[in-house]
Amino acid sequence: MRFWDILLMSLSSLWKRRIRTILTVLGVVIGTASIVVMISLGLGLKRASLEEMEKYGSLKSIIVSEKDSYESDEEEGGRANKQTLVHLDDSVLESLRGIEHVEYVYPELEAEVMLLAGGYTCYTSVRGVPTKDMELIGLELAQGGLPEPGDTQLKFVYGNSVIGEFYNEKTGHGYWFDGTMAPVDLMNDPMICIFDAEKYYNFIWGNADESGNVAMPKKYMINAAGVMAGKVEDYNSNSNLIYCDLDLLKALLKKEFRGKAIPGQPTTISGKPTKEIYYTNLVVGVDDMKNVQNVQAQISQLGYSAESNAEWVESMQGQSNYIQLALGGIGAISLLVAAIGIANTMMMSIYERTKEIGIMKVLGCDMRNIQGMFLMEAGHIGLLGGLIGVALSYGLSFAINHFLGVSQMGIDLEGASSISYIPFWLSALSVAFSVAVGMAAGFFPSLRAMRLSPLAAIRNE
Amino acid sequence: MATTPVISVRDLYKIYRVGDSRVRALDGVGFDVQKGEFCSIVGTSGSGKSTLLNMLAGLEKPTKGKIVIAGEHMEKKNENQLVAFRRKHIGFIFQSFNLMPSMNALENVALPLTFQGVSRKKRLEMAREVLTLVGLEHHMNHKPTQMSGGQQQRVGIARALVVQPEIIFADEPTGNLDSRTSAEVMELIRRIINEQNQTLVMVTHDDHLAGFADRIFRISDGRIVDIRVTGNAKKDLTRKQH
Ligand SMILES: Nc1ncnc2c1ncn2[C@@H]1O[C@H](COP(=O)(O)OP(=O)(O)OP(=O)(O)O)[C@@H](O)[C@H]1O
Ligand SMILES: [Mg+2]
Repeated sequence: MRFWDILLMSLSSLWKRRIRTILTVLGVVIGTASIVVMISLGLGLKRASLEEMEKYGSLKSIIVSEKDSYESDEEEGGRANKQTLVHLDDSVLESLRGIEHVEYVYPELEAEVMLLAGGYTCYTSVRGVPTKDMELIGLELAQGGLPEPGDTQLKFVYGNSVIGEFYNEKTGHGYWFDGTMAPVDLMNDPMICIFDAEKYYNFIWGNADESGNVAMPKKYMINAAGVMAGKVEDYNSNSNLIYCDLDLLKALLKKEFRGKAIPGQPTTISGKPTKEIYYTNLVVGVDDMKNVQNVQAQISQLGYSAESNAEWVESMQGQSNYIQLALGGIGAISLLVAAIGIANTMMMSIYERTKEIGIMKVLGCDMRNIQGMFLMEAGHIGLLGGLIGVALSYGLSFAINHFLGVSQMGIDLEGASSISYIPFWLSALSVAFSVAVGMAAGFFPSLRAMRLSPLAAIRNE
Repeated sequence: MATTPVISVRDLYKIYRVGDSRVRALDGVGFDVQKGEFCSIVGTSGSGKSTLLNMLAGLEKPTKGKIVIAGEHMEKKNENQLVAFRRKHIGFIFQSFNLMPSMNALENVALPLTFQGVSRKKRLEMAREVLTLVGLEHHMNHKPTQMSGGQQQRVGIARALVVQPEIIFADEPTGNLDSRTSAEVMELIRRIINEQNQTLVMVTHDDHLAGFADRIFRISDGRIVDIRVTGNAKKDLTRKQH
């Protein structure tokens, strides 16, 4: 039998029972539309979260730090770790530069700092980065500029949230406590900085240090170079930090903590400070997001702790894949119901046509052709339902994006204007899927039709 | 003339099991049918006529015995092969016409050609030709519901003829028609058999209609009890009987 004839026969049979066909198709329409809309919501969510993450701009960089000594203790059995524990210095920096796909490496040195300004105090971190590499961080400034090469004085670039950290020395209240902003002008007010906070508190509380002295630590007057753009509440990875030149910071720390261990710096076994000041982190910039994991693995292999947003992105994406799967699963239930509807319709059709099928078999219609006819019928129900369902989904998706506006969802999705998003592959895949579901549902009925006895045609009803 | 018979049946048994009892629907049947011969099978109700015909047409499996049609052993074929065999070699005329209600006369006649994979143009042309032969040139576009019983059965006959089968089977082809129409249809069948040298095996319980055939097999309780050659038979066929 010719393919075209099988097709025409199955179509004419659908047409003959068009009311039932329409009802069955309707089930598939609802099933397909619910899957597509559910998945489109998941996809919209995923896209929005990726756009949100991209705002942080650092999806292509890896933060390298020293491996936690506890970790290596366990791994190495405690004895060998003194040698294997490698601190971050310029030679490490150079070796990381040699890794393939690495575009740049710059060091970071972090220290704690206390800021005092007109009765207000703030306790935060200062991060030194070589002035020449500061452009790479991608800071957006509202006031001032970055430190200039050749500066001889340490200058601070304040994060936009730092101002919120100031609290009144007497009341202890600050912005995060009661919403009153400290009257401090970071850009222009003279800022008194204390790096040795321990000594400061010892002085305040009157405790003597090892040498029996109760002395005020040195106060440094440090000017601002700039302030980052953004409101106090606008969080990003830099908003709580103060940036400054690394070499100047290093020199200052060396002077300030002469003969003492610097907080956050490695010490020798006996607790004595090491000779050198090591970097807190090395920031490795990779040429492409897809190479991040690979480079990260290589760095970990070298014995450092390496972290990147690639993991975060991946876990976020994994999470949204789960959400999507769950949403798709909910939609799939209605398609399953529709599939049962198809199977039912096909069974009915076969019961009604028992005699007709018998006649065809007596007249020599190939059994596989009979099966083909019924499979095609079921497949067409799936196809029609799938096509209309996808069309309906586009309509629903439009309605969702249009009427359930972004603002109503309470998420701030700048640029990501759609909650529901149907890519072409999704619509193509779901049409194919509903055809497959239709044919699967029609498979057992079609087997039954194929196996019906030709004698049904002979017997008089 | 030493032609091999179109149908050759030997030692054919069909035993149905109904609960604990066994029904011997066919109880050792054997006969030959020559090319161009018109045989009718008569017998009382329940004697096994339909069972015999169904087995000849490959619609049922024999319990035991040999059926050779057009040189092929029917009892050795599986269902798929039987369908394929019917498609190529066998025409079938039903008692209740069994036309497809949604198709007109022309499409109904062309249906078996569709199963053979003949192109639409060619099969409609062939169907038109055969419908003219059975005298329905003015009813080609009529649906079954728009035709009388006699006309419907003529469409049924045309449908059996259109594939130019080796052999045609008919189970009480006039069973649903009144006696005058029955006679007309039988005359038509007889004329076509003669003109086209077709082979036909027909089941009937009407002795008068059986008389249109060349030979009459009488069946009783699953056995052939009598074979009678009528005056219609051509001489060369008569001579060959045993
Ligand atoms: N499927 C079956 N199962 C059990 N017994 C059957 C079956 N088909 C036929 N028989 C029995 O076989 C015997 C022959 O039946 P068959 O239909 O061949 O009779 P027939 O000669 O065609 O009768 P009629 O003239 O009434 O059509 C009957 O006794 C019938 O009861
Ligand atoms: Mg019968």
